[in-house]
Amino acid sequence: MNEKKNTVVIAAHADGHILPETWDLAAFAQQLAGGRTEAIEIYVVGENIGPMAEEIAEQTGLDVRAVSCAGLRYFSSEVYCRVMGQMLSNKGVLYIIAAHNSQGQEYAPALAVMLNAGCISGVNGLRFDDGAVLFQRDVHGGKARANMISHAETTVLTVQPGVFRPDAARRAAPGRVSRQEAEYTPGRTRVSGIQKARADAAGIAEAKVVVAAGRGIGEEENMPLMESLAEMFPRSAVAGTRIVCDRGWLPYSRQVGVTGATVAPALYIACGISGASQHVMGMRGAKFVVAINTDPQAAMFNESDVCIVEDVTTFVPLLLDVFRQQQNDNPVPTAPDNEESGG
Amino acid sequence: MKILVCAKDVPDPDHVVVRVREDDRAVIGEVSEYRMNRFDAFAVEEALRIREALGNAAIDVLTIGPSRAKDVLLRGVGMGADRGIHLETQMDGYLRPRTKAAWIATYARGKGYDLILTGAMSEDMMNGQVGPMVAAFLDLPWATQVIRTRLPRGGKNALEPVSADICVEREIEGGSREILEIALPAVLAVQTGINEPRYPSLSNLLRANKQEMETVAVVLAGEGNEKAMEEMAGMEMPRKMRAGRHLEGSPSEKAGQLIAILQDKALLS
Ligand SMILES: Cc1cc2nc3c(=O)[nH]c(=O)nc-3n(C[C@H](O)[C@H](O)[C@H](O)COP(=O)(O)OP(=O)(O)OC[C@H]3O[C@@H](n4cnc5c(N)ncnc54)[C@H](O)[C@@H]3O)c2cc1C
Ligand SMILES: Nc1ncnc2c1ncn2[C@@H]1O[C@H](COP(=O)(O)O)[C@@H](O)[C@H]1O
Repeated sequence: MNEKKNTVVIAAHADGHILPETWDLAAFAQQLAGGRTEAIEIYVVGENIGPMAEEIAEQTGLDVRAVSCAGLRYFSSEVYCRVMGQMLSNKGVLYIIAAHNSQGQEYAPALAVMLNAGCISGVNGLRFDDGAVLFQRDVHGGKARANMISHAETTVLTVQPGVFRPDAARRAAPGRVSRQEAEYTPGRTRVSGIQKARADAAGIAEAKVVVAAGRGIGEEENMPLMESLAEMFPRSAVAGTRIVCDRGWLPYSRQVGVTGATVAPALYIACGISGASQHVMGMRGAKFVVAINTDPQAAMFNESDVCIVEDVTTFVPLLLDVFRQQQNDNPVPTAPDNEESGG
Repeated sequence: MKILVCAKDVPDPDHVVVRVREDDRAVIGEVSEYRMNRFDAFAVEEALRIREALGNAAIDVLTIGPSRAKDVLLRGVGMGADRGIHLETQMDGYLRPRTKAAWIATYARGKGYDLILTGAMSEDMMNGQVGPMVAAFLDLPWATQVIRTRLPRGGKNALEPVSADICVEREIEGGSREILEIALPAVLAVQTGINEPRYPSLSNLLRANKQEMETVAVVLAGEGNEKAMEEMAGMEMPRKMRAGRHLEGSPSEKAGQLIAILQDKALLS
C-alpha cells in the first residue's frame, strides 16, 4: 500500500453483524477527509470477520483491513485496545474514529491514553472554520453545543450514531480488503455472555401515541396524570426517561432511549423531559412531537414540533379539563374514518 | 478491600441558563447551585453496598475542583464514606478528562485500591472518558455502564486486598447486558439505576463536618504542564431539528391551541 492512510475507522459489529453505526462512521470519515477517500481505512476486528469486511468494502467503497483475531468471540475493550494500540502506534494516523455506542464509549478513551492521543467523545457535528476543524458535541444535557479543536498528533473521536448519514448513491467500485492476523491473548476481563433485554410488555413500541414522563413531573404521585393524558388518545401508552425508571416510577421496560426502547409513534408527548441525546435517540422517529417543560431552553424543544413552556403538573390537568369540556360541548361522532382499526 | 470513588461537583442542571452573546456564541450564565454529579451518587452508594456485603471495606471519595467542590466530599462522607480527598485546583473551568484521569491515577497509584469507581459520565460535560482513562493510566482492567456488581465472597479479612474476580453486568444498547468477570483491582464506571443512592445521614454529616478532608494541591501534580490535547473553543446554541412552534398565551389558551392542533392532525380519539 503506498498511499497514506491517515484516517482510521473502527467498524462496530456484534453477533456477526455489522452495526448500522458503521455506515455513519464511514460517512463521517469521508466528510472529515474532505472526500479524500484513499486516506481512509476501515478496521474490522474480531473472529470470523471476513464476510463483514467484504460487505463493508462493497457498501462504502472504502478500503478495509480485516483483522482476524481467533478467540475474540464477544467484543472486549481490553483486547480491542491491545490489538488496535499495537497496530496504530507510531503510524502517524491523524484520526481514529469509533462509534459513540456502548463499545466505543468503553474502549475509545482508554485507547487514546495508550496511544498518547487526544480524545473527543460524542461528536455530532463537524465544521471547517478557517483551517481549523471544529468537532461539535452536546454539553449540559444538550442545552448547548461545544466546539472542540484538537491539537494532538492523533485524535480518537467517538461519533454519535444517527447523525452523519451515508450517501444513498452506491459507489461503483468496492474498496480493497487486506487481511491481517492478530494474536488473541485473553485479558483480565472475560465476557461470559449477553443477557437480552426484557420484552416490552407495555407495548410502547406499537403504541400510536406515547406519553413520556421525565423527572420534571416531580413525583411518583403524578404518574396517574400521565395515564389520564394517555387516555385522551386511542392506542396510547405511557413511557418515560431513564431517571423516571431509575426512581421506580415506571418499569425499565418502558424506558425510551439508547439503553431502552426505540419508539416511532404518530405522536410523542414529552412531559418534563430535558432532551438528553441518550433519550432523544429512542424517539427521533416519532412523526409529531409535543414537549411541555418549564425551562424554555430545554433541549427537548429542539426536537419538538410544538413547544409549551409550562409546568407539566398544572398544565396537564388543565389540558384534560379543556378536552373534556370540548367533548361535552360537541361530542365527536364516532365516524368510521375516525376509528382505529384493530384497537 | 479498599475502594476509591471519584465524584465531581457539577452545576445543578435546573440552574443552568445558557446566554447567547452578540457574536452568536453561547455562554453559561453564573451558576448558583452546584451538587454531586448524579451518576457519582450511584457510585458512592455502590461502594457502600459493597462494604455492607463484605462486612468491612475502606471507602475514600475523591473530587477534583476548586474549593467549592469540597461539598461533594461532605455529601460522600455524609452518605457513609470514610474519607474525603480533595485534589484542589485553582482552575474553575473546563478540565480535560485526560488531565483529570492522570491526576486521579497519580493519586491512586501504589495506594492499594481494589476498586476505583467513577460515574458513567458527568452531567455537565458529558464526556464519559475519565473512568476508562484512569484504568489505562494505571494499567487496570475496566468496565463502563456498570449496572450490577457481584463480589467474590467476602471473608473476615475484608480489609485485605482482594485478589479475585468481580462479576459485573454492563448495559449495552436496548437495555441488554454484557456479563463480565474482571480481575481485581479494576476500574468501574457506574450507570444510574444500579442501586438507590441514600441520603446523607445526620450523624455522618456531623462526622463529615468535623473531619479534615485530605487536600492535595494538584498544581504540584502538573496542572498546566499537561500538553493540551484538545481545547474547547467556545459553545453555541443547539440546532433545531423540528418546527419548534411555541404556543403563546395563557395556560388555558395554550391548552385550547394544543387540542386544536391535535384534532387537526386527527390524533385525538
Ligand atoms: C450510557 C447512557 C445511557 C443512557 N440511556 C438513556 C436512555 O435510554 N433513556 C433515557 O431517557 N436516558 C438515558 N440516559 C440518561 C440521560 O443522559 C438523561 O440523564 C435522562 O434522559 C434525563 O432524564 P429526564 O429528562 O427525565 O431528567 P432531567 O434531565 O433531569 O430533566 C428534567 C426536565 O424537567 C424539566 N422540569 C422540571 N420541573 C418541571 C415541571 N414542573 N414541569 C415541566 N418541566 C419541568 C426541567 O426543566 C428539565 O428539562 C443515559 C445516559 C447514559 C450515560
Ligand atoms: N472533577 C472531577 N472530580 C472527580 N471525579 C471526576 C471529575 N470529573 C470526572 N470525574 C469522574 O469521572 C466520571 C466521568 O466523567 P467525564 O469523563 O467527565 O464525563 C464522573 O462520573 C466522575 O466519577
